[in-house]
Amino acid sequence: MAVASIKKVEFYVHNSVVEDVLSILQKTGTCEIVSRQDVDEVDSHSTAHLQRIDSLLSETRFLLRFFEPFYEDSVPPMARALGERPDFSVEELASLAEKTDLLQLAEHIRTLERRLIEIRSEITQIDSTKAILSHITELPYSLELVSRGTRFVGGFVGMLPVEQIAGWKQAIEKNLGDAGEFFIASYEEKEKEAWVALFCRRDKEQEALDLCSKYGFSRIEIPDTLTESVGEELLRLETRRESLLKEEEKIEMQASSEATKWMPTTRALSDYWNILKSKYEVLSNSEFTDKTVIIKSWIPEVAVPKVEEQLKQYRAVLEIAVSDPSPEDAPPTLLVNKGWVLPFETLTKLYGLPKYGELDPSPLLAPFFFVFFGMCLGDGGYGLIMLGFFLFFMKKFKRMPEGVKNFITLFILSGISTIFVGALTGSWFGDLIDVFGVFKFIRPIKNIPVVLDPMNDPMTVLFISLGLGTIQIFFGLFVAFYDSLRKKDYMGAFADQGGWILFLLGLLLIGGTVSGKLPASLSGPSKATAAAGALVLVLTQGRAKSGVVQKAISGVMSLYNVTSYLGDVLSYSRLLALGLASAAIGSIINMLASLAMGIPFIGWVLALILIFGGHLFSVAVNILGAFVHSLRLQYVEFFSKFYSGGGRSFAPLTYNTSFVTISETKEA
Amino acid sequence: MDLLGMMLAILGAAIAAGFAGSGSSIGVGIAGEAGAGVMTEDPGKFGLVLLLQALPGTQGIYGLLIAFFAILKVGLLGGGAAVAVNVWQGLGIFFACLPVGIAGYFSAIAQGKTCAACIQMIAKRPEETGKAVILPAMVETYAVLGLLTSIILLNGIQI
Repeated sequence: MAVASIKKVEFYVHNSVVEDVLSILQKTGTCEIVSRQDVDEVDSHSTAHLQRIDSLLSETRFLLRFFEPFYEDSVPPMARALGERPDFSVEELASLAEKTDLLQLAEHIRTLERRLIEIRSEITQIDSTKAILSHITELPYSLELVSRGTRFVGGFVGMLPVEQIAGWKQAIEKNLGDAGEFFIASYEEKEKEAWVALFCRRDKEQEALDLCSKYGFSRIEIPDTLTESVGEELLRLETRRESLLKEEEKIEMQASSEATKWMPTTRALSDYWNILKSKYEVLSNSEFTDKTVIIKSWIPEVAVPKVEEQLKQYRAVLEIAVSDPSPEDAPPTLLVNKGWVLPFETLTKLYGLPKYGELDPSPLLAPFFFVFFGMCLGDGGYGLIMLGFFLFFMKKFKRMPEGVKNFITLFILSGISTIFVGALTGSWFGDLIDVFGVFKFIRPIKNIPVVLDPMNDPMTVLFISLGLGTIQIFFGLFVAFYDSLRKKDYMGAFADQGGWILFLLGLLLIGGTVSGKLPASLSGPSKATAAAGALVLVLTQGRAKSGVVQKAISGVMSLYNVTSYLGDVLSYSRLLALGLASAAIGSIINMLASLAMGIPFIGWVLALILIFGGHLFSVAVNILGAFVHSLRLQYVEFFSKFYSGGGRSFAPLTYNTSFVTISETKEA
Repeated sequence: MDLLGMMLAILGAAIAAGFAGSGSSIGVGIAGEAGAGVMTEDPGKFGLVLLLQALPGTQGIYGLLIAFFAILKVGLLGGGAAVAVNVWQGLGIFFACLPVGIAGYFSAIAQGKTCAACIQMIAKRPEETGKAVILPAMVETYAVLGLLTSIILLNGIQI
């Protein structure tokens, strides 16, 4: 039904045509290639290709990264993810690759990048030198004395703590006398350190340095390219900086024009080589002999004839062996479902695919999720908003990928369900129609389909929720029963599932007769059903244990699990809670808005803002809650009865693109 | 003594909104801290992170809901006359507001920690968002049960 039947297909291909065969397989996109476990010998032919492609891909990655900040994308990334991409055929891409000398372009761009980096680092250097020099603008001598010195005189610049200055000056006069001259830059009162310089005779230089360090002097190096006076150097640095900035601007404009010219091509080529790469990776992962290559793959049964047809032309040099998967194999899982189930398939995928040969839960959870979502959100107005929003999305992005489309359809269906439940409970943006007199004429129309109002009658809704929960749990048990029969596990079917079904049904009926909802005449049969179920369970639940006593004890203990079923049913009470919550939030917003109307002059403006903002916020929060909790009920209460997931998704060799759409896939 | 009933009801509403809201803010904050960490590595995950961060926020809304119910019940909202509430009714309303306040507070913090862990999970495995959204929803079960209890109890008190 829903898990596609997969065949094991082995291709024995002659070396000469293997690449073409793989291209055809890639085009059909229906073939998952099994990689070899042991990779002792690698096919040198494909390795060479892979290396060439990998180096081309690293160049494209570099180009894409470099161009990104300069390129003005006409299509925002989200639109691109939703399918708004240029079309290319594989031949067009191949000829594009031939025409474009990507390596040369990359080399050219690399020189641009290098120059930009050089410029930027030089500018940083200039800025830091300027910062230093700006502190010592009053230096009486040219910087040559400090940066290089003369034969007899040297100097150094640095910072000195302010309180040490007096002591330092004295020490210099005492120890160096005429041989030393200091300079102190002017400093603010609050600064802790001052910029100072000391000039001295070469022979006293070391002594001077030692002296300075005693007073906490920290030297700042002056690069020996600086020789003029401070003012002149600052001017020179400034002019250099400006010319660098101009050059940077020029290069950036060049980069920008290159980006505009080459970005689309680079993106297309990136996708092209990724396509080739996946093809050659398959080759390098296959077994090979001197003259042939052996490709093992999984293909869905329905796709096998088409594959054989496409490869007909190579019949002379190709052998195809089709067989069924053996028990030790682990084929992948591909879900195949009818149109109305497809949106609910996304929910199964979120949880985890079934193993090959297991049941597909998607059609089973579909009606329940549909109803539960409607009950949790339960407001006609919110449903209309959902419908409008997601229909708009569908219309705008016509080429979106299958998975996204299914997801959006899911929300559209959920919106429809919400509108139904909203109409049945008379909830349109909460009680907007009742609160505001301006809607008086709609009230009778609104009230026609109303069956039940959760705000006034929560108990009834609670019983409906618990009732639905009981139905879903029994349904789950029946599915498990059917599944066990299908797998020929008769003991499991009748003992495990059958036993519980009887027991729970019996308990329910007893509850019904006791509370008076069912006629008392059913009391006897219901007790009998429950007793029969309990007996089956007691006798069979301990069958894995050894010894009669052990079996009996396990059997009796297993009856205790009835509490977990009780918990499961109670869990469905959240349908009431969430439905009530969304209705109540709506009515609160409306009440606040109606209070705001009372404010003179601007009251109605405030009310409108409150209604728009409040209900929008309410829609967002309630959709999140409705989705998550409806889903959780499926995953935890329903799936736990019969489903475990653990399947691997079918991953065929196909065109894996990020920036373009391959036009051949559209024909298929 | 006349007003004691009314005041007890107001105290109940205050606790419901206050505690549940505090729990939500702590929970959402914890999740947000994890989210900020994940986004330093990959700012592109903002949407997923925001989705997970928002999950512990529902407890605050539930608390607000019950607070509104309680206030509505004693007629303080809506501009009409205040209803006479005797001490026992007021005390009843106070007790009815406790489940959502207490359960909301503790479950929101626990849910926040779960969300933080799930955010870190989708940092490494963004394809598992479905599972990452379900795990915190398991914690929220108990907040929902608290809400339900408060609704049923409040419903049962006759003014």
